[in-house]
Amino acid sequence: MGTIIEASATATAHSRPFAPGARKLADAAARLCLERADRTVDELDLLINAGVYHDKLLQEPALASLIQEDIGANPDPDRPLGAGHGTFSFDISNGACGLLTGIHLVDGMLASGTVELGIVVASDIDPEPGVSEGFGFPSVGGAVLLSADDSRAGFTAFQFATFPEYAELFGSYVDWHQDARRGLTHHGRNILTVEIAESYAAQALECAESTARELAGAQALDLGQVDLVVANASVPGFADGLARRLGVSAERVASPADGLATAHTAAPAVALESVQLASSRTVLFVSAGAGITVAAALYRA
Amino acid sequence: MALEGGADGSADGGSYTSRFAAVGALVPERRVSSDELMGSTKHRTHIELERLTGIHERHVVGEGEDSYTLALGAARDALAHWDGAAEDLDVLIVTSISRHVGGLRLQLEPTLSVSLKEALGARRAMSFDLTNACAGMLTGVFILNDLIRQGRIRRGMVVSGEYISQLGINAARQVRTVMSKQLASLTLGDAGAAAILERAPEGAPGIEVTGFTTLSEHSRLCLAFPAKIGRGESMYTDARAIHKISIEALPPLLREALDQAGLEFDEIDYLIPHQTSARAIKKGLKDVSASLGVAPKHVVVTVDEFGNTASTTHFVALRKYLSDGRFAKDDRVLLLALASGIEVGVVIFKVDQLVGRYGHDH
Repeated sequence: MGTIIEASATATAHSRPFAPGARKLADAAARLCLERADRTVDELDLLINAGVYHDKLLQEPALASLIQEDIGANPDPDRPLGAGHGTFSFDISNGACGLLTGIHLVDGMLASGTVELGIVVASDIDPEPGVSEGFGFPSVGGAVLLSADDSRAGFTAFQFATFPEYAELFGSYVDWHQDARRGLTHHGRNILTVEIAESYAAQALECAESTARELAGAQALDLGQVDLVVANASVPGFADGLARRLGVSAERVASPADGLATAHTAAPAVALESVQLASSRTVLFVSAGAGITVAAALYRA
Repeated sequence: MALEGGADGSADGGSYTSRFAAVGALVPERRVSSDELMGSTKHRTHIELERLTGIHERHVVGEGEDSYTLALGAARDALAHWDGAAEDLDVLIVTSISRHVGGLRLQLEPTLSVSLKEALGARRAMSFDLTNACAGMLTGVFILNDLIRQGRIRRGMVVSGEYISQLGINAARQVRTVMSKQLASLTLGDAGAAAILERAPEGAPGIEVTGFTTLSEHSRLCLAFPAKIGRGESMYTDARAIHKISIEALPPLLREALDQAGLEFDEIDYLIPHQTSARAIKKGLKDVSASLGVAPKHVVVTVDEFGNTASTTHFVALRKYLSDGRFAKDDRVLLLALASGIEVGVVIFKVDQLVGRYGHDH
């Protein structure tokens, strides 16, 4: 029995200030994903949100619970609480590796039979355009719908690695900036800052390559058999660069649409929009992000 | 609910039983009484916080302490009471709501799990952060329990450090009356907590059931985000509505989890609820017990001493009771999460070998 991708979807916002926030982007991607899979929202047992940059940088509750409410995933007023139904939702954070991390968690709960249908959503927006410093990710949301299938292999292996010696290359934080003009203690604002060093892109490639090769080695996979690479690290050119390093030809790389090359947590879903997953036999997913953290997965479509 | 476990401790797809191998906590030395906090409010509120909540004091961070240091200290405390070592951990989950590193700077990336993994020497562990309001640690337990029961991993740690006392300081500048939506912020205290889960030896007791669900139609009753008036965060809570909804929802959900484990409510020796207010806990559990017809033998209240320490409350209480020698080996404990979302979570387990790890063997 394998965990398979039933559908994936994205939602984008092209203009501010009237464009939707991170929550609504996740809502839209989740709804489209369910529609593409011909599933109803009440079938969802599990909803994991892996986005990092939310509207207002909400810290409580989990954004996933708001998304669950928005899309109307349970309760069913005709069925009382405690009758074996419901949806469980929570947030995870693993930077650009968040979507693959969420898929790994859903894979575990599908295998145990704890859930039958799970969705991982991710979206990012600049919470305060013009105020935030260094934020360069496009506003986009993504969703991946997962279930177990007795007849297909689906996700067969995951590999995770961290390289803390490069932690300084990618950082983001919210800190108080005093407004010097006021001269009073409490005048100022909390501001988001994102800092990505120039050397991050090259280092992410190196870390991603080593993790991907480790996965391939553990699975006795000849990288020449890979017919689709879905890779992201929040910087342009990463997927092509990784494919070159791994010896996979450029036409086997899932390329994001124009303007979305630096998509952050939703990037794997963005890349899947450009390909027919069902026509690929062996798919290599690789995400790299702050930490440097790398997540890799093998999917047999 | 999403449920794991069953009457024989290993039903529904699980090949193994998981158990709590050790728990740890780090509570800061510095204390602030409710009287001191209410004495610092900007407006004359006439709120008798200690009488309302039963909270006498809470511990708050001192110089050099933050979410990260509290989590690290708690993780080390758990490791010190375990037979294994950090390098044996397969998974590390950090569940802090507050991710303050270096004072009140909120760190988004990299995750706290990257630096904790490095500091602990958990080289092999797959690591990530998870947030689920005050249900975060129990959500991490739910995930680890699932992975251990399947045999996918053997050992994992869930850890949290909460530096949230600044919310109380921010609230003290704005609260005017007992109806303020920032009243709950005045109940908060700082703490770190950690739990190590492992595969139990064959036949040994452990976690009997875990269950979770999200009543998301009430997701907007408690919202926290970076403050507009100063460093840290502000939180706005309709505590009365959350309490009312939770107490109405609990009986059928508890019944579902208890049925899955083949248990009755009065077979629970110690119930450790999320610690919000002593009065709310006592009133709520009285109503729930009346609805179920029976009551657990003991209800644990530590909020008087620590305040509401967010995602860490269950394990701060568990660690205290272990240190105090309050449990017997055969005792059965129910951890109950009620958190913004609204998240309802249940973990039922036998204390067993934990008893002997904290200087008491009964």
